[in-house]
Amino acid sequence: MLADALQLLLNGLMAGAVLAVPAIGFTAIYAVLRFPNFAVGGMATVGAYAGWVANTRLGWPAPAALAVAFAAGAAAGLASDRVALRALRPSRGGAGGALAAAIASVALNIVIENAVRFVWGNDPRGYDLPVYRDWRMMGLRAGPQQLENAALAAAAMAAVFLFLGFTRTGRMMRAVADNPQLASLKGIDAGRVAALATGLGMGLAGFGGMLIGLDTSIDPLTGFRVMLSVFAAAVVGGLGSVPGAVLGAFVVGVGEELSLLALPPSYRTAVGFAAILLVLSFRPRGLLGERAY
Amino acid sequence: MFRPTRRAALLGSLATPFLARTALAQAKEPIRLGTLTPLTGAGGSYGPAMVKAARAVADAINAAGGVNGRRIELQSEDDETNPDAGVRAARKLIDVGKVSAILGTWASAVTTAVAPLCWESRTMLFTVSGADSITKLPHNGYIIRTQPNTELQSMRAASYLAEGGAKRVFALSAQTPFAVDSYNRLAAVLKERGSEAVGDVVYDASKTSFRSEVDQALRAKPDALFLNGYTPDVTVILRELYRAGYEGKKFTFGYAANAKMLESLPPEVTEGLISFSPSPDPGSPAYAAVKQALGTDTPDTYSCQIHDHVSLVALAVAKAGDASGAAIHDAVRTISQGGGAKIGSALDGLKALAAGQDVNYEGASGPCDFTERGDIEGCKFRFEQVRAGKITLLSVS
Repeated sequence: MLADALQLLLNGLMAGAVLAVPAIGFTAIYAVLRFPNFAVGGMATVGAYAGWVANTRLGWPAPAALAVAFAAGAAAGLASDRVALRALRPSRGGAGGALAAAIASVALNIVIENAVRFVWGNDPRGYDLPVYRDWRMMGLRAGPQQLENAALAAAAMAAVFLFLGFTRTGRMMRAVADNPQLASLKGIDAGRVAALATGLGMGLAGFGGMLIGLDTSIDPLTGFRVMLSVFAAAVVGGLGSVPGAVLGAFVVGVGEELSLLALPPSYRTAVGFAAILLVLSFRPRGLLGERAY
Repeated sequence: MFRPTRRAALLGSLATPFLARTALAQAKEPIRLGTLTPLTGAGGSYGPAMVKAARAVADAINAAGGVNGRRIELQSEDDETNPDAGVRAARKLIDVGKVSAILGTWASAVTTAVAPLCWESRTMLFTVSGADSITKLPHNGYIIRTQPNTELQSMRAASYLAEGGAKRVFALSAQTPFAVDSYNRLAAVLKERGSEAVGDVVYDASKTSFRSEVDQALRAKPDALFLNGYTPDVTVILRELYRAGYEGKKFTFGYAANAKMLESLPPEVTEGLISFSPSPDPGSPAYAAVKQALGTDTPDTYSCQIHDHVSLVALAVAKAGDASGAAIHDAVRTISQGGGAKIGSALDGLKALAAGQDVNYEGASGPCDFTERGDIEGCKFRFEQVRAGKITLLSVS
């Protein structure tokens, strides 16, 4: 029983680490632009396929392909934002406020999913990577690919924290997230920061999408499947808070796994919702509130 | 007494073309049918070929002059392998498209959701879904399925596993309307044959990882696993099983272990996987027609089945002389079974019916004989095994 629980905890931590990457992207966009951009799901799919092309067609190793996934997510995110979402954003006086932009992002998600389907079809695709047997230690098992994914996720998270904490651009982003009026008085270009947040957020979504695909396989629904968990992670941690998104991802990831001790696996999706309900009942602003950093 | 006057002649000459035109329009009123297949979602590998196969039969019939001079008009909708989307699309087909039959619903969850709309509007539903519960619905004969039901499939699967020496079988099932039914049936047949079903996990197929589910299965120490899911989730589970070092038998449905799945996985992961599927009838003329329509030597069973759906509807309409859903409902078993001449294609059948003969359609998917409830009476199964990344035929029985 204890070994089972430890194994589930381990699985949950690995899942949480991978989930944290797109969750940071989602929350960073919310912090600056003040609307939930559900197109992270679509960009996760775009990133997964871009990385797949780099890996299987160009023969690039996983870390290099992950860079491609980030770049593709960022580029597709920026382009689609300009076409579909920018005019609706609350900060630009979109008449419908955050809701209109959020709904448009759901629609954008569907468009992107189908564009991917149009090019690559519905069938699952796998990365050109060897599948290794798991390592076993003290009754626990962990896969080399899983550990590598968790390490890559940790590296991406560290890079984001360093960027936000120690670079001028990162501080600009945090300033806009904290108080847009004050930031603009200080001469920070809101448009540039908005583009930066979108690019960073969607790039992280693309990166996260490929991380998920590395461990499993990809199809046009890859991003859509993870979107609910990403949203749950961001809300639980506190929408707009980057450390909150990381914490939220671990809560959701570990929660979904540990729930298996008491519930059949078919209820796993409900855990994300239950976590939102529980946390928001006691802490309406999420575990860490909405401080960006 | 009628006296021809100039006025009467004038009226008559004006009215004649008008009358002729309405009569002509009635004769040319098309037979409206809808395909509702998964073009996207977990079943998205199958829907597009199904539509192509259905269209090919309709085109062939239309090119030969239609059914009693009426063209078949095929409308195609996507059910997204999702019950909500399926219901929306079925509403459109029934209310806007005015179809008299819906053909090809694939996922059992979609068929279950769409079925009440069909029987309430007297629209025939031809499906390829397997869940037992579907034909147990109060459909009053408005459902016909060409896919063997879960009961039949699970019994065959269980006896195959038991004959192959499996003693402890565990089932990993995606959450579908047939997950529980098929496990119970599997367990019963295994027990009769001296083997044992040691447990099952029903998982949520929309998750990205199934590590913990696989752990749970392996804890029961099975020597055979029954993977009762769809391609995307079975793909992930096979990876997990390899990683976990599982060396026992792996058994799944043919629709999950398709060629595309094998392409996406390294050969060592899929090695030894046994799959089974209802076998089409490779000797039939209808099967040859499906091969030609799809440009492949190995058309999938669903394309064969929807080919038969269109053929059955065309023959039923010809027999009844009426294209309403109720007419198809009443006539379908008079052309699918019984003592009539065995015919292997809709075109031959239409000719025979026009000549006043009785027909018994035998299709690409099999004999197409239906029970009162709408299930097929029997069919063959095809067992295949993956060896070095390629599907090889074990047996058809």
